[in-house]
Amino acid sequence: MAEGSLLSDELLRHLMAVGQVDVLVGVPTLNNASTIGGVVNAVHQAFGKYFPRDRTVLINSDGGSVDGTQDVIRGRSQDQTETVTVSHALRTTHSISTPYHGVPGKGSALRQIMTAADLAQAKAVAVLDADVASATPEWVASLVQPVRNQQFDYVAPIYSRHPLDSPLITQLVRPLFRAASGWQVREPLAAEFGCSNRFLAHCLEQNVWDNELARYGIDLWLTATALYGGFRCCQTMVGPRVAAAAPGRPGFREVFQQVVGSVFLLLEQQASSWVTRVGSEQIPIAGPAADGKGDGQAPGVSRLGSTFRDDLRNLESVLRAILGEGTLRELNAIAEAGVEEIRYPDALWVRTVYEFMGAFHRGVMRREHVTQALIPLYLGRTGSFLVEQSSRNPAEVEGALEALCVEFERAKPSLVQYWNQAT
Amino acid sequence: MNGAANGSADPDLLWYRDAVIYQLHVKTFADSNSDGIGDFKGLTGKLDYLRDLGVDCLWLMPMYPSPFRDDGYDIADYYSIHPSYGTLDDFREFLDAAHARRLRVVTELVLNHTSDQHAWFKQARSARDDPRRDWYVWSDTDDRYSGVRIIFLDTERSNWAWDPQSKAYYWHRFFHHQPDLNYDNPAVREEMWKVMSFWLELGVDGFRVDAVPYLIEREGTSCENLPETHAVIRWLRSQLDAHFPGRMLLAEANQPPELVRPYFGEGDEFHMAFHFPLMTRMFMAVRLEDRKPLVDVVERTPEIPATCQWGIFLRNHDELTLEMVTEIEREFMYEEYARDPVSRLNLGIRRRLAPLLEGDRRRIELMNGIVMSMPGSPIIYYGDEIGMGDNIYLGDRNGVRTPMQWTGGWNAGFSTADPERLAQPLISNPLFGYQAVNVESQLRADHTLLNWMRRLVSVRKSSHVFSRGSTTFLKPANHRVLAYLRTLGKEQVLVVCNLSSSAQAVELDLRSLAGALPIEMFGKSMFPRIGELPYILTLGPYDFFWFRLRRV
Repeated sequence: MAEGSLLSDELLRHLMAVGQVDVLVGVPTLNNASTIGGVVNAVHQAFGKYFPRDRTVLINSDGGSVDGTQDVIRGRSQDQTETVTVSHALRTTHSISTPYHGVPGKGSALRQIMTAADLAQAKAVAVLDADVASATPEWVASLVQPVRNQQFDYVAPIYSRHPLDSPLITQLVRPLFRAASGWQVREPLAAEFGCSNRFLAHCLEQNVWDNELARYGIDLWLTATALYGGFRCCQTMVGPRVAAAAPGRPGFREVFQQVVGSVFLLLEQQASSWVTRVGSEQIPIAGPAADGKGDGQAPGVSRLGSTFRDDLRNLESVLRAILGEGTLRELNAIAEAGVEEIRYPDALWVRTVYEFMGAFHRGVMRREHVTQALIPLYLGRTGSFLVEQSSRNPAEVEGALEALCVEFERAKPSLVQYWNQAT
Repeated sequence: MNGAANGSADPDLLWYRDAVIYQLHVKTFADSNSDGIGDFKGLTGKLDYLRDLGVDCLWLMPMYPSPFRDDGYDIADYYSIHPSYGTLDDFREFLDAAHARRLRVVTELVLNHTSDQHAWFKQARSARDDPRRDWYVWSDTDDRYSGVRIIFLDTERSNWAWDPQSKAYYWHRFFHHQPDLNYDNPAVREEMWKVMSFWLELGVDGFRVDAVPYLIEREGTSCENLPETHAVIRWLRSQLDAHFPGRMLLAEANQPPELVRPYFGEGDEFHMAFHFPLMTRMFMAVRLEDRKPLVDVVERTPEIPATCQWGIFLRNHDELTLEMVTEIEREFMYEEYARDPVSRLNLGIRRRLAPLLEGDRRRIELMNGIVMSMPGSPIIYYGDEIGMGDNIYLGDRNGVRTPMQWTGGWNAGFSTADPERLAQPLISNPLFGYQAVNVESQLRADHTLLNWMRRLVSVRKSSHVFSRGSTTFLKPANHRVLAYLRTLGKEQVLVVCNLSSSAQAVELDLRSLAGALPIEMFGKSMFPRIGELPYILTLGPYDFFWFRLRRV
């Protein structure tokens, strides 16, 4: 698509006024009026505190908010904000709020931000989610400085959180991505990232922006593209991530389906890049290393076991089409235990995931049905892990998570086998 | 009668509000007697040049007898002329000749301190019970007024100096050989009014008063800007108005504008004061290619009484001061304008305008275009009108006080003495040396910097809107463009400047001026009439426009 149709005349006028910039921060929004103010303040404070001599701009790409999100951003005009927060900035700090056009979703917003950054020849770009209540100026600095000062092309955040927090990441996305791709990334689908002009120019040339991945899996796609594309990648500690509750946000099942569907889809599309890789490499950490303490809370385990047991029974015919006979038998066996006594071992969980991936690839049924069917098994696995680890300290839990990753890596040949059979 | 303090008084009494001032050093301007040192006869011979440049007022750096340990700011006798510069009669002749050309003359008045070679100080230190002892500030210890900042950080370690003769410490805010006078002593104030009267009787039109904030000391304070200091100023001003209406006092107070504002009082202290931060921020804005620092400082500048005026400038005889900026700003300025550490002095940069701007004619013109259109009376530092260079290796601030470059010939036309005798060595490098940069050669072509400066001054003086008008910034989205409206009654001038090294387009919201026809003031060219739509201009690198807005 031509640039001209991506950027409105009004946005182009703004960009013309902004000219070349050193640091650009993009914030995609959709009905984030309750949280966007804090994010914008954090960005402006970062400009003043960490980039006082740089040419800076904040670009908000909005998906059609009806709650006054753009008004909040415009209300925090540069003059007002400067007086309060960025009195140290030597230069004018620009803020642009503009709607994006095209396929609804974060991908279109990011495409617009990246196109604007490319036109403004931004030396470093950071993207922040609009619903992060915990965003601080240091987040922006952590994401931008490795690009500005150390010539990294892609910066993935490391959030400070309890190892039992975010099990969808720790039990599924992180170890699967690590085993498949061969890269050890703490947050493969983080909503925040930093990048160089070189990287974003490469991304803009890719044929992803109008397809399904751009809608729900763009974060993961960016991480994978940076790694597979040979760009200089690093991770950086940003602190705890607290997302504000927002009305209209999709529920767990929808999120699960979007995330897992995106992971499977991405790995399918980029299979040629990973099927032959063995083992995994660490991604360097720019700045201080993670302290390992973590914030946040472990989710409760109530209902996880019962959902697992009930749905295993209800979905048996579906699961029979997805899983191998042995796997299903083992699952039924562990479901016999009492709800609190369910133990779902690493090896079985890895095999489950790999067989689901194979089924997804083979197209044994509609793909969303495949990913939906994984939900009760994921809940069972999560409940089992939480019960097992609940009395252990964070370092021990981190050890268990690392062991899971290693198991995913160890079993990768079986994944490749499922994959090749399907192909 | 306090004529100058009355806004409805004879407008000629307010001459300083519309003046373009030219600062020069007699020592290095023109030498008439071949001794290598400039003098009043030499200066008198150059008055036609200054008249043709278009300036209204000359500000002379110190001309008094002095041991010259601070280039004349260490005065040893307030009632006389330094013999190297001539005699009092020479000065009278110069003054008459200047006035005949409608050039006013402002001289230096160093109130705060004298030289340690002044008879007053010699007498004061001679005995602890000497009547002049209390004309200076003494102490048996060096711990009074602790915490007061040291101004010349590179050379002085304390504001107290030990006097072995009277075995006591004396107070000095500047060099240790410049003891501060004690303005708590009424006799000192009376004596200084006597000094002023002496020169005013001769006909000088005003004084540039050096180092104003430091006149009075009080324990537990910064010893700067104290109420008692303002009381001294008000008393001197009342004396001036009572006896010499229409004469002017210009304050040197290197402070932020909000702290300088009190020196205007209610129109009953200084007529003028330098705006130091504006100068620094003009340089910052051009290097940042961003109007922010400049707009910030102007908008932060408080209103001043209607009879008062700011003195605005790009460079002067001192270092480009960085005292009034933040650490980040100072670091930026050093990196951008003073990479060679030798060019740094105290908290500033000892360079002239042209070398600071790397000899870039476009930036020199832009900076002059800004300062000549900003609210205030602009001051041109001698030699900057031809783009003279400097010599940072001469020590202290002497590098920006080298002889005026009149010609490409012997000693740059400054003196016929042997070059070794010159008061200061000439600038002779290939870029800024007198063979390349001099008045004579620049008078021979229309488009030289000198002739451009003449036109600039002439256009500036074509309207009082620059000197007396209000200022409204337009703040277009393009931060590289500085745009402001100067308004005086029905007269309006629109100034648009491209601060960047690349061509820029800008959309100005001029709806409130719809119907006006912009006439570019230098070439008198008409531009499209202003309408309801954004007014689009394109500007080349460092371009600027002054538009007179006409209703036709």
